Amino acid sequence: MKDFSEVSPLRILESSAYKGLGKGNLGVLIARAGGGKTSCLIHIAFDELFRGENVVHVSLKDAPEKVASYYSVIFSDLVKVLDIENESEVRARLDKRRIILAYLRQSFDLTRLRESLTNLVREADFIPGTLIVDGIDFGETGRDVFEGFKEIAKEFDLEAWFSALSHRHIAEVNERGIPFPCNKVDDLFSLIFQLYATQSGIFFRFLKDHDSELIPDAVVRLDPNNFLVVE
Amino acid sequence: MLDDIQNLRNIGISAHIDSGKTTLTERILYYTERIFAIHEVKGKDGVGATMDSMELERERGITISSAATYCEWKGHKINIIDTPGHVDFTIEVERALRVLDSSILVICAVGGVQSQTITVDRQMNRYKVPRIAFINKCDRAGADPYRAVRQLRQKLQHNTILMQLPIGLEGDFSGVIDLVSMKAVYFEGPFGEDLKEGEIPPWLLDEALAKREEMLDAASMFSDELMEAILDGSVREELIHQAVRRGTISRGLTPVFIGSAYKNIGVQPVLDAVTNYLPSPAEVKNSALDIDQGEKEVLLSSDPRDPLVALAFKLEITPYGQLTYLRIYQGSISKGDYLVNTRDRKRIKVGRLIRMHADEIEDISRAEAGDIVALFGVNCVSGDTFTDGRLNYTMISIFVPEPVISLSISSNDNKSEVNMAKALNRFTREDPTFRSRVDEESGQTIISGMGELHLEIYVERMKREFGAEVSTGVPQVAYRETISQRAEFNYTHKKQTGGAGQYGQVAGFIEPLEDGNYEFINEVRGGVIPSEFIPAVDKGFQSCLRRGLLIGFPVRGMRVTVNDGQYHAVDSSERAFVQAAIGAFKQAYLKAKPAILEPIMRVTVECPSEFQGNVMSSINQRRGLIMSAAEDGVFTTVEAEVPLEEMFGYATTLRSLTQGKGEFTMEFSRYARVPESLEEDLKVRYKERQKRGEV
Repeated sequence: MKDFSEVSPLRILESSAYKGLGKGNLGVLIARAGGGKTSCLIHIAFDELFRGENVVHVSLKDAPEKVASYYSVIFSDLVKVLDIENESEVRARLDKRRIILAYLRQSFDLTRLRESLTNLVREADFIPGTLIVDGIDFGETGRDVFEGFKEIAKEFDLEAWFSALSHRHIAEVNERGIPFPCNKVDDLFSLIFQLYATQSGIFFRFLKDHDSELIPDAVVRLDPNNFLVVE
Repeated sequence: MLDDIQNLRNIGISAHIDSGKTTLTERILYYTERIFAIHEVKGKDGVGATMDSMELERERGITISSAATYCEWKGHKINIIDTPGHVDFTIEVERALRVLDSSILVICAVGGVQSQTITVDRQMNRYKVPRIAFINKCDRAGADPYRAVRQLRQKLQHNTILMQLPIGLEGDFSGVIDLVSMKAVYFEGPFGEDLKEGEIPPWLLDEALAKREEMLDAASMFSDELMEAILDGSVREELIHQAVRRGTISRGLTPVFIGSAYKNIGVQPVLDAVTNYLPSPAEVKNSALDIDQGEKEVLLSSDPRDPLVALAFKLEITPYGQLTYLRIYQGSISKGDYLVNTRDRKRIKVGRLIRMHADEIEDISRAEAGDIVALFGVNCVSGDTFTDGRLNYTMISIFVPEPVISLSISSNDNKSEVNMAKALNRFTREDPTFRSRVDEESGQTIISGMGELHLEIYVERMKREFGAEVSTGVPQVAYRETISQRAEFNYTHKKQTGGAGQYGQVAGFIEPLEDGNYEFINEVRGGVIPSEFIPAVDKGFQSCLRRGLLIGFPVRGMRVTVNDGQYHAVDSSERAFVQAAIGAFKQAYLKAKPAILEPIMRVTVECPSEFQGNVMSSINQRRGLIMSAAEDGVFTTVEAEVPLEEMFGYATTLRSLTQGKGEFTMEFSRYARVPESLEEDLKVRYKERQKRGEV
């Protein structure tokens, strides 16, 4: 079996000064609709799962069954790419480390999330190392919510990854080069990535790497079929 | 003839227990003039609803056995199967879904999409059943049909479209607004049989217009013609019906209807929807396996002129004798015809051909492709395929879940013993998930099934219907054994005690098989074991699978490869090779690192969110694995995998943990290895029972 880190979009962190997001910090990847946000976010989840971390996937739009099916489909891709032999054993091992929390019909609030995480830690002996948050509308969500997430990340000592949807018709970029919809909350995020497509392929690049200077050519190219790194 | 099939519907009515589906069926039968009085499920008149045919069902107010019934509505023939709502009886639901072409999903306007609805919906997806939804009980306090619709979208991912709006709710619920005709519909007369159309109440007009637009938008995705008509303002009702029908049949849309069966509101429009939007048998693809072509999948035509293919999907014992329900997929059956059972090639003559109306019988002379009928006195088992002898087809077997729980049962006196045997014989023919066997060592009769309630109901029926006084033991989990590594064998069975001797040698290896099945591979070359003895070797290994050597439970997931051996020209026999295989199994089994497996259940718990922590804790204490928690307003649905062993008595625990507000369903998910501590414990208990001579 090959190592997941070879094909993970997070391989881009090899060129980062910090090599990772770090507990208590928030990270976000920005892309347009259909740009592969959920796939990349789940790859980040797999990156953590393969490292032995527990992952809580928070979904604000899809029911757990749908989220689980995303994981299942992506895992099937990984079986081929990584030459996983004992598929069902590995699948069972990773499934044990993942719990999906879904908040349907605008039922999400930070208090409920904090309560659910507390329940998981206290009642189910499940200590999350990473939070994957999919489906938050950055344009409509107040700064206080992200501040709340930052507190949760510190309180539970975990990394939290988000996806943000950018729009072709909104070209706002702040003075630090961070585009809409993250331009007003970028100070709360330690890592910001952008997923973008050009004629020569799909790319994953840094927009922010903690407090370090960006390395201009730190880009990885992704396979448009499975959003994994291609050489 | 083919025109007839276009006007035929085979529908199921599925839902969470207590959503009122039996009441809905009862009203349908009343409006279609199959019955002439209405009885309630738990009616005070002691008669009970027509579809609950068994005494026990009437008493408990739940439906256990699916009774098929037939009715007619506006020139359409409708076969209805009333399906059970409790998850322990899912085989009934599975069998119904196998033979039905579409379904009405009944949802309680108060309770919304509940855990059982989720299970039933998952089953319907497995069989690709198109459905319409009926939001029932809109007259009850707390009714919120809009919440139910949102839950259909979010919990079940249905692309719902509201076809109606309620006029008033709870105590004020008085009728519906039809968003296609844009009329208010009221249901008058003592039993709501007189439909009166009127203008939409002015205070609901804006909402009706907005909802109609939403409905048209969704429907137009399935019809370019409707889309164009919307753009040029020439929408006709017929165009809407066509588009919604297309969307529904492709399972891209779920039209939603609103009413209260109990208050006689909104049932007739559901019948119209059954005829307008649900598919005829000719619009559903069905396939069979052609045995003569190595079980190649073949599409069936639904043409009554083609050779017959029919499936016996349900057996029922009635006071008149055994009744076999058949779904005809292709061809036709007439009284006096001869049918051939594909399984044993036996020919039977069709004496009486009947349609069932719950407990009542209607004799008919002929039935065609698409229809559901019943025959008397046919000796077969549930799942058998019948043809007219021209084809050698078998319908793809109905998915039968493995029993997960067993119980020892004994009769209290001689008369009861005879009656118990009769009852067991009937139940095992009727229900493939209910099994009965006599334990070789202890001599005890063991029954097994899908859950505690499943077995409880059969024990009750033995007492009531068969007069068998029986006592039962403690429920036992159906453990399995398996092997976890390859191990070689080379065993010689040799016996020389005067007269003809016995000689057989087999060599090869056993190895784990992930899919849980048993496989036998013959790699013997050069005739070192003559080919006529190979089946005996296979038989010998298979006989060992019934009882593993760790704790005496069946062995699953093993491949046997035999690649060498020896025989003796005089002393070798089938019996000798069976014995050689048994010896070889014993030799290799313990070397192959055997392990004990336990059934893992997929458990869905629904409770008010404030109890989420309690529920998670109860699952964790039961060695459960929480997979997800979904919050929807004030409710949380926790999905988990929990070993069945730990689920006994969970209903009581959950009630006390959630102040009676939580409920759960479970179904078998898979087998998994038991933890080492439990494995040791089970082994010790088995050894103790061996010492006491119980096994």
